[in-house]
Amino acid sequence: MMPRFQRVVSADSSAELAIQTRDLNLWYGTFQALFDVNLKIRQGIITSLIGPSGCGKSTLLRSVDRINERLGSVRIKGTIELFRQDIHAPTVSLAQLRKQVGMVFQRPNPLPISIRENVLFGYRIHHEKGGRIARSEADGIVEEALRQVLLWDQVKDRLDHKATVGLSLEEMQKLCIARLLPVKPLILLMDEPCSALDPRGTAAVEELIWELRGRYSILIVTHNMAQARRASDECIFMLMGRVVEHAPTDQLFVVPAHRETADYIEGRYG
Amino acid sequence: MFGPTLINHKNERIQKRVQFLFGVMLFFLIVPVVLIVGTLLVKGSGIISWSFLFHDPTNGMTEGGIFPALFGTIWLVTVSLLASVPLGVAAAIYLSEYAPDNLLTRLIQLATINLAGVPSIVHALFGVGAFVVFFRFGTSILAASLTLAIMTLPVVIVSSWESLQSVPRSFREACWNMGATRWQTIWHVVLPNAFTGILTGVILQVSRAAGETAPIMFTGAAMFLPFLPSSVFDQTMALALHLFVVTTQVPNVPESLPYGVALVLVGIVLLMNSVAIWIRMRLRRKKKW
Repeated sequence: MMPRFQRVVSADSSAELAIQTRDLNLWYGTFQALFDVNLKIRQGIITSLIGPSGCGKSTLLRSVDRINERLGSVRIKGTIELFRQDIHAPTVSLAQLRKQVGMVFQRPNPLPISIRENVLFGYRIHHEKGGRIARSEADGIVEEALRQVLLWDQVKDRLDHKATVGLSLEEMQKLCIARLLPVKPLILLMDEPCSALDPRGTAAVEELIWELRGRYSILIVTHNMAQARRASDECIFMLMGRVVEHAPTDQLFVVPAHRETADYIEGRYG
Repeated sequence: MFGPTLINHKNERIQKRVQFLFGVMLFFLIVPVVLIVGTLLVKGSGIISWSFLFHDPTNGMTEGGIFPALFGTIWLVTVSLLASVPLGVAAAIYLSEYAPDNLLTRLIQLATINLAGVPSIVHALFGVGAFVVFFRFGTSILAASLTLAIMTLPVVIVSSWESLQSVPRSFREACWNMGATRWQTIWHVVLPNAFTGILTGVILQVSRAAGETAPIMFTGAAMFLPFLPSSVFDQTMALALHLFVVTTQVPNVPESLPYGVALVLVGIVLLMNSVAIWIRMRLRRKKKW
């Protein structure tokens, strides 16, 4: 099957790195979920994370904005750098980190406020005047964000409607992406963003993700092999907490370098 | 082919008996409620009037109205709410949103739930020791209200905690992942969505505080006071105690008087509970996520 989207493969391997991990090990209590993960994820492209359930791909994703730490009893060895800054450095503010790194969840989780306020939420909480912004400025932000996620035309007449009612799952998921954009994040993390959607919704959200490519560095966890293949530039295959292979998507799917990768993408286990 | 067998008949018989039995139990539950409210209405409604509600008792409490008691009950409930709601809601927010999920937290939750079951007379004695004697508030509205607050606090905490917990975790995760602090998350998302639930719990406690006699009779409620309280350091009359007094302590009270007092008290409680139910119904209709 041919990739649906046109890729621009950069030959420049020294391109700025968005995410770099060095010997990353992670434990939940006594259970080790990640083993010596060394990754270099390039800026401005879409990188997909694939692997069977429990292989540590969501854990890795959730380490990037340190949301894992909410679970307590999480222990980390090794480093994670975003744009060459160690995110575990004592000077790092979690609020700033999570502003720069947006997360999209498996189940769309718009907040039970209006569509408009959903888009403005992140902007308001990081705003220095406690979120009191002029109406015209707010309108501009809302329109720009909703246009970026290809949702403006569907919702422009009901911006004041509650976002948890009357939107399809696809629209909700787009809204959840839109609300990350006004604070100008550098990285978008997506944890199986299409798995709750029907095929049409999946196609629409994939198209959107591809649209956002270049402006943001996107790391996307997926169970859907076809999706990884269609809609990512590079692909990382993980197995039992380790990175098995990291390669350009075409290469990984056509000529996988490892036996385990080949077995997985051919559906021999999953 | 589809006709019933012996087993079907037997199962059906059992099912019918269980249904009947449970229906009878429900009947026995409803009878006392209907009897109480009915008796109060029949025997007490005759005395209810503007002057009954808004005049002082006269002639050794055998005639006149109940205004000081009604007024005192409102005082007591209001002051106790001022103490118990901020304290209880803050404690619930801490338990639900900040406290780590460990043994200590669970012990505190368990203790709070158990505290709700402590008999009110025990709270009364605590109130005497703590507020009347130790803090030297004397027998006063303040001491009585704080005793009522202590009594209602566990339920305020537990019901508020439950309302907070019923706000889906995914909302919190959405906020945290955008870099919102815990407080921003609580203030902008959790509290607005838990508010009506918390309010319902509080209103139910209002009716409980209004109806209790034991916690106030040693701490600030008087049998008879010829004047209205002017500050929280005065004693006051209260409906619940007044009912006890006119029923058992005063000779030659006309029969309708205690029934009238009881009717007013039950009326207040039912009114409060109806408001709580109404809020909950509105909340259910509005809440869609």
